[in-house]
This record gives sequence, structure tokens and C-alpha cells, in this order.
Amino acid sequence: MKLAIACLKRVVIAGVMLALSPIDCVYAAAAQSPERLFAELAKLKPEQRAKRLEEGSRKEGKLNFIHTFRGKLARDHVRLFEKRYPFVKVEMADMGSQDAAERFIAEETAGRHLTDTISLAVPDMPVILNQNLVAKYPTPATQRVPKQFEGFLDKQNRWVPWYWSEHGISYNTNLIPSDKAPKSWQDLCNPAYKGQVSFDPPETRFMVGLYVMMGDEKFQAWLKCMGENQPIIQRGHTQRMNLMLSGDHAIQGDNFLYVGAQEKKKDPKTPYAIVYSTPILAYAGAMIINKNTQNPHAAALFSDWTLSEESQKYVADEFRGPLVGKHPYLPDNIKVVTFGYLSEEIVDRLHSYWKQHIGKKK
Amino acid sequence: MSGVRRRLAPDGGKLALGLVVVILVYQVVIPLLMVVWTSLKIERPGEAGFFDLSFSLANYARAFGSRDFWHATWNTLYFALASTAFSFGLGTFLAWVVHRTNTPFGQLIGVITLGRIIIPGILITVSWILLASPSIGVLNHALEAITGMNRMLNVYSFWGMVWVHSLEITPLAYLLLSAALQSMDPRLEEASSVAGAGHWSTLRRISLPLILPAVGAAVMLLLIYTVETFEVPLLLGGRAQVRVYTTEIYFNTARTPTDWGLSGAYSIAILILCAVCLAVYFRLVRHGERYQTVTGKDFRPRRIDLGRWRYVTCALSLLLVFLITGMPFLVMLYASLLRRYQPPSVEVFQSMTLSNYHEILRDPVYSLDPMWNSTLVGLGSATGVMVLVSVMSYFVHKTRMRGRKLIDFLGFAPIAMPSVVLGTAFLWFYLLVPLPVLGSLTIICLAYVTRYMAVALRFVSTSMLQIHSELEEAAAVAGGGWWRNFLRIYLPLLRPGLMAGWFWVMVHAYRELTIALMLARSRNRTASVVIYDLWENGSFPQLSAFGVLIFALLIVLVSLGQTISKRFGVQEQV
Repeated sequence: MKLAIACLKRVVIAGVMLALSPIDCVYAAAAQSPERLFAELAKLKPEQRAKRLEEGSRKEGKLNFIHTFRGKLARDHVRLFEKRYPFVKVEMADMGSQDAAERFIAEETAGRHLTDTISLAVPDMPVILNQNLVAKYPTPATQRVPKQFEGFLDKQNRWVPWYWSEHGISYNTNLIPSDKAPKSWQDLCNPAYKGQVSFDPPETRFMVGLYVMMGDEKFQAWLKCMGENQPIIQRGHTQRMNLMLSGDHAIQGDNFLYVGAQEKKKDPKTPYAIVYSTPILAYAGAMIINKNTQNPHAAALFSDWTLSEESQKYVADEFRGPLVGKHPYLPDNIKVVTFGYLSEEIVDRLHSYWKQHIGKKK
Repeated sequence: MSGVRRRLAPDGGKLALGLVVVILVYQVVIPLLMVVWTSLKIERPGEAGFFDLSFSLANYARAFGSRDFWHATWNTLYFALASTAFSFGLGTFLAWVVHRTNTPFGQLIGVITLGRIIIPGILITVSWILLASPSIGVLNHALEAITGMNRMLNVYSFWGMVWVHSLEITPLAYLLLSAALQSMDPRLEEASSVAGAGHWSTLRRISLPLILPAVGAAVMLLLIYTVETFEVPLLLGGRAQVRVYTTEIYFNTARTPTDWGLSGAYSIAILILCAVCLAVYFRLVRHGERYQTVTGKDFRPRRIDLGRWRYVTCALSLLLVFLITGMPFLVMLYASLLRRYQPPSVEVFQSMTLSNYHEILRDPVYSLDPMWNSTLVGLGSATGVMVLVSVMSYFVHKTRMRGRKLIDFLGFAPIAMPSVVLGTAFLWFYLLVPLPVLGSLTIICLAYVTRYMAVALRFVSTSMLQIHSELEEAAAVAGGGWWRNFLRIYLPLLRPGLMAGWFWVMVHAYRELTIALMLARSRNRTASVVIYDLWENGSFPQLSAFGVLIFALLIVLVSLGQTISKRFGVQEQV
């Protein structure tokens, strides 16, 4: 057995060495480390910086990017970039934020620097940040981020936020008239809504947002009263929204609000309303650049471009939250609670609260 | 009665045996070792110490040390037994009606039953929500109109889960038993009839015992399939507050970063369960010669004349296939014509539109390219895996060589590896080994060969057990080499099992999501990835439209497969 394990170990290590060797050679051939390049770029005037980025990107000619927008939404976004900078060919994969983080870690651990840049939800970043895989990238592009969203910025320049996602309450207007609709998160505990409020299974992002807004004690108390109100727990944001709009239940205790807003735009008769009287929980989607990127200029060019007017307009047109410019459906005076990521210890605690109060099993 | 099975692989087959062993090591043993290794490590892959020879059972203690887990296990057992019993009964009945009786519309009933497999599981589950949800279920509205009682059906319940899942897996039982029933020599049944036994007595005492390997394989696969199932427990069980093994695993490992150690420990538990099931199965079919009904003598399976009862079986079968395939498909078709899903009404019917189809077909790169990729992956992996398992099955059932049960076990082991674990194992393997398959369809095909090996092997094994060794012996006496005999004798006679397995693998490769997602890059997106996009970001109507398109395409592919196999294989006996 020991012999077999030793042999296996040798095979695996040989595989790793084999895999690492050619790529390390490529990397060694690169002119300078991406972080040093980015530090140099930060010292240049905007026009010089832009010129150097374009020249460098032209030489690199390609970019490997993981988008966490999905399908057509992602591809049309990238097409806009390719139209603006036709000399950069973008190889894009699209997947969920957590999957993207896992894949990136796997590639880097194996020494295969296949991805230059990724768009990730900030709450999903700790695992990547802990492994020191992200290049520090100071960029003047973030100066466009308005004060309201400054909480999304990273003081160490490890990411470039470029859109935001919202968690909020919404309801079916056929089942609940507006005067009887909930006005706050606390109202969801009202016995009148017993068995009518739906959530996805425990989601770290949602719980972190509530925790940031309410604090530990109130969050626990809210979970307790929600648990007593027999919430509907069903996975699938879009399907849950579709079910509510079909009359399956009355209230989305938590969901991305854009799903219903898009349906309402397609069909104004859609029985959908958002609760505006309570804060909306918001986290950023952000670009990170691989510390070992093989195409640092193109990665930087793309990251900057995501905050351009063109990209931000696309975000708004597609009913997502732009950081710059008017939101497509939320009123200007809406209160937004921004949040990023919390320590693993707190996240574990939040999950245990959920399990205790809501995740009881038959 | 039986020909003597060879103690060792025949000379001409040594090359084939060598190939099988190499492929099994490459496709199964390595991913399996990665899972075992990960389950015994506290460190994540890539972290310092992951390759050290220090092991821990901490992941097993975490996995199996909680009361919640055992509670979920009990639910799983109950759910699996109920679903297996129900679906096995339905599948057996349909297979018997279609292949062994003179029930009218038999072929149509068979085709519609199989059509069910083509519809993606997510769509079926959502369709049943729309049919039997207490609030918006179309059936509940209809029942209320008739009886005045509301909310009679509730799909969000334990029995709702059993119902939806049983209908989902009935085609698997049907396919396995169909293959066996088509290869059955009817003379034994005729002898039973001559001796005075009635139809039911003959069925119970002759027909069913003769197809015991298929029965054993079906029960075992249905059980394991139910233990592994995810969509129904997630979409219905979550709301019914019934947590089973897979949802427990999902909730315990779905956070970032993925807890690979815990996932590995759960996989090993399923692997042990599979090993137990396989041991029971081996015991059941240990006298393989008893099931050999395909001999050197010509036979033509006989259809039982049911007399007037044939109209009853026809009505029952049509009702069943309507429930299994017809109703969910109609809901999907209906939803695909809406701008947003609403229960049926005059207003809704008046506002129907083809805009969802237009939207999908407007952008071929988005929808048609992935469909083409899926077609290639489906055809490639189905053909590859069926060739592989036919050879494996030969060595397992037609030789007495040592280690043949190990081949069967290794062929069956992938069923215990959850897709997420298998996908990760392949991703890691090809990240470490610099073969140029990352981002190609090849890597997905390779993963699918492993993923579907277990089910494919059972399909072929049931047919292989029915073939009498005297045919090979006669050919050997006539001077045929191993390869020639295998290609000219076994493959044609295995056709029912091969076709059923090929169909099963092709359709499931088309539908498979988890592995496709994990291995997807810009150029190897498959249709199931598009389904997931639409599921995550789109609306149910668009998802339904894409489902209808896939359904149409797969019907064409399956018909093509049937035509080709008829052209090049033996003629149907039935």
C-alpha cells in the first residue's frame, strides 16, 4: 500500500512538474511582472497611460476572461468591447461567481495561467484574496464611481467594481394590494404573510447584507420570527420569481429585483411591485486581474473599459445596476445598504443561525 | 446446459482486454483515486500538505457525525424504495405491453415513453409544479371545478416528490426490461401455456425469472439513481422540508470555497452503497447460464394475445405515457408560446406568440452552436461508451478470468461519483497533465464516457447474459478469430441492449449540466449550458422554447440512430 501511494505521489508530482515547466518558461519570458507594470502605469498621465495600454494590448492581441454575466448577456457585453478595441480577441467563458472562483484557483494551483481576468461578486472573493492570486491594479477609471458607491472600492486596489446587484423585497399585486404590502424586512414576520414569503436556500450574500444592515442580535431575532412564519424555501431565483408572478405565492422575501422589473417591461400587466420603503441590499460585481496574467495590458484595458460610459449604459439597458449613471428602474432616492465580504467565522455563524431558525427539517 | 466459460481471455481478446484495462485505469481509477485521496485530506487541492502522506478521517467524522445527516439518510431510503417500487412497476408493465403483447398502438406507446427522457429534468419538475402546485396547479383548478374541493393535489410533499421522480425514471426501467424481453426465447412460455398455465402465471413463473438479470439491474439502477437524484429534491423537497442525501450534501458543500474533503467523503459512502448493491446483483445472477435464451436455434419472440383485455392495457398504457411524457410536454409547449407564464385562460391563448423561438433562433452562436456541440458530444460519448462496455461485459460474463468482477466494479464505480466531483477530477487531471484537451469537446466526451459507463454497462450486461456461449464456440470451431466473432456474433446479438444504452447515454449526455458547466470554455459550450443560462437568467417561457427545440432535434437524432442500426445491424425479430 505504501509503495502504491509513493508511486502515485511520484506520478502526480511528475505531472505537476511537466505541466509547470513549459508555462513557467513562457512566464519567465514576459518582460515584467503585471503588478510592476500596473504600478508604472499608475504614474503616467491619463493620455500616456491610455496610449501605452492600447499599444501593449495590440501586441498581446488576446484576453482570456471569465464573465459572471451569463450567456447572451455576457457575450453582447464582450462584443461591445471587441468593437471598441478590435485588436483584442476575447476568449470568454461564462459561469457563476463561485464556479469562476473555484476554476481560477484550480488553474493557478496547477500552474496553468489560463485566465487573465475575471468578473466576480465581491462577497465571493475571500478565497481568492487569501491565496494571494490577485494583482494590485490602481486605475483612474475608479474615479468615476460616485460617492454613494465608494463602499464598493478596495483600498488596496485589488479589484475594480463595475456594477452592482440588489437584494430586495417584492410582491404579486394580484395577491396583495399595495396598502397591505409589507413595508420593511421586519414586516415579513407579520402572521398575515404566513406561508407566503419565499427565499432561496441559505445564501451567504443575502445573509451578509442583512447582517451588515441589522447587526447580529436583530438579524437573529428576524430569522427567528421568519422561521415561525413558515417561509417557502425554494432554489432558483428566476423560477421563484416566475412562480410568484404566476400566483403561486405572494411575496419574495429576497430576490434580485431586476427579474420582475424586466418582466414588467416586457408586459406592463405583470402583477409585480417592489418594496421601496426599506433599504435594498447591494454588493458589487468587480473585475480582478490575475497576478500571473499573460496579457496584462489587455486585462487592464478591459477592466478600465467596464466602467466606461458604453459599458455602463449596457449594464443599465440590461436592467442591472450601473455604478455610473441612472439606475434603470430604481428611484434615485432609494436607500441602498452596500456590503462586501465578511470573515469566514462570521459567515459560518450566519449559516448556523439560518439552520437553527429556518432550516429545520421534517 | 451452458457452454464452458473461458478461464482466461481468449488469445485474440488479449489486446482488447489490455485496452479495456488501460482505459479503465485512465478513465476511472485515476479520478477515483483523486476522490479517495481528497476525502482523506484536510488540505484543499493546491494547498501545502495536500500531497503529503498524512491522512485524516476528519472529513468522514464531519460528514457522518451529525444527526441531520442520518435523518436525511432515512428520508433518502424511504424516498428511494418508494420511487423504485413505483417506477419499476410502471416500467415493467409498459415494456411487457409494448414488446410481448398484441396491445394496439404498442410502438407509439414505446416511442412516447422514451420521448420523456429527452425533456430536461428541470423542465419536467417545473412542469409538474405548474400542474400540481396547490395555488396555481392546472390540475388543482380542474379538480376544484369538478369536485368543488380546492388544493387536492400538492406536488410540494414527500409523495409529490415520489410521483414526479418515479415518472422521471420509469423510462429507465422500461428500456432495461425492453432489451431483455426482446431477446427472450418464447418457447419456454409456450411450453408453460401448453402445460396449462395462464398468461399471468406464465408471466410470474417463466417470463420474469428469465429476465432476472435485467430485473436486478433495473432495481439496482433505479435505487442508486434515486439516491443520486438532485433536481426533484431540490425544487420540491426544499419547499416540502424533506431533505435527502443529495440536498444534504449540496447544502453542506455548496459554499465557496467548495469543501472537497467533505464531498469526497460523501462520494465514498455512495461508492460503498454501490458496491453492496453490485454484490447483491452478482449473487442474484451468479448462475448466468440460467438466463441464456439466445442460442444457436432461431427464435421469434411471440406476442401474447390478450383478447379483449388488449383494449384495457392500451387505455392504461396511453394514460401512463400521457402522464409520463404527454402532460409535461404540453405544459412546456404551452409555456413556450407565452411572454410570461400564466395559468391558461382565453386571454392567455389569444396573446400567444412565437417570440421566444424567434429570440432563441435570432442568435445562432448562442443557441445553435451549443446544440451542434451537444450533438457531437452525445453521439461521440454514446458510441464510445457502448463499444467500451460491450468489450468489458464480454470479459465479465463470458470468461472466467480472475479479476473480471473487478472490471465490473470499476465500470460501475463512476455511478458513485457525483458529477461535481467527477467534473473537478477531470479538470484537475487535465490541468496537471498538459494534453491539449482543455476547452475542447474531447474533455467533455472523456468525462461522459466515465459518467455513463455504469448505466451503459448494465444495459449491455443484461443482454450479454442472455447470449448462449455455444454461438461463440461454434464460430471458434469454424475458425473465426476473437475480433471477428465479437463483431459478427456478439455485437449484432447485443443490439437491443446496445441500442437502449446508446439512446440512454446520448440523451443524457445531451442533458447533462454539471460536468458541462465545469469544463465549459468559450468554444465548447453545450445545449445544457444554454438551458442553465436560461434557467438562471431568463424566463420559463424561453427555457421551454429551447426545450421544445431540443426535443425536436433529439427525436430526429434518435430516429436516425434507429434507421442506421436497422440498416447495419440484424433485423428486428419482433
